[in-house]
Amino acid sequence: MKRVEVKLALPIVAPLLDLIKELADGLKKHLAVAPVVTEVDPEMRDAWFGELVSAQNDDVATLLGLFDDEFFSEGVVAFDESNAEAVVRACAAIRLRLRERWLKPLGDETLESGDVDVAALDEPLRKAFMCYLFLATVQELIIQHLDSSILES
Amino acid sequence: MSRFSRRRLLNPIRSQTLPRHLPHTETELKVDGLWRVVVLNDPVNLMSYVVLVFKKVFGFDEQTARKHMLEVHEQGRSVVWCGLREKAEAYTFTLHQWHLSAVLEPDEAR
Repeated sequence: MKRVEVKLALPIVAPLLDLIKELADGLKKHLAVAPVVTEVDPEMRDAWFGELVSAQNDDVATLLGLFDDEFFSEGVVAFDESNAEAVVRACAAIRLRLRERWLKPLGDETLESGDVDVAALDEPLRKAFMCYLFLATVQELIIQHLDSSILES
Repeated sequence: MSRFSRRRLLNPIRSQTLPRHLPHTETELKVDGLWRVVVLNDPVNLMSYVVLVFKKVFGFDEQTARKHMLEVHEQGRSVVWCGLREKAEAYTFTLHQWHLSAVLEPDEAR
């Protein structure tokens, strides 16, 4: 089984985890982005959303599980076929939530281009954007190294 | 009334490669017609992530997945699948699980 271990800089990543956990708490009962489902009846729509929230919670729990006691002592997280798919989806969910909660002032065009002067941002916005970049980096690492594990799982 | 069953919700399409157009009968088409699964652009999800999702969910090869991703990125939307309603609903649900903006539309050309 292919496994990717990544050594993270604890002083940089640890402060971001508080925000990630806060956002994860906000996702327990809500979807990162409520999908538009107009072509199904209300009862089915409720079931649809309920299933999505449940799946989202499973994925986010897998992501948060990476940052355990071992992470705080060694600074290492590991990805493999058992967690890659859930983690890459959870990162998407939290990045979408970050946009909704914190990053709207940057504007969608800036967010999409990534052309942001981080040093010019005030502290809460800078932390949110750093979190956004960190989660994107995790996604890129997984896609680069575990793409086939996800496609074959 | 939707033909989307709770059982279908519990068994979303997640990994298997499915034919893009399933065999169908004339009767089925008259009842529900054809439906399109349309993915809309969002400013958050990475291009590489969207390509991965298309490959995973629809079994697209790299070139096809990239073509649809670029359509979404440049034109704001891409029709990624068209066929019977129940399957279209399942695909839409699966794309929502991957946090892509996807909508179900009746195929006007039917």
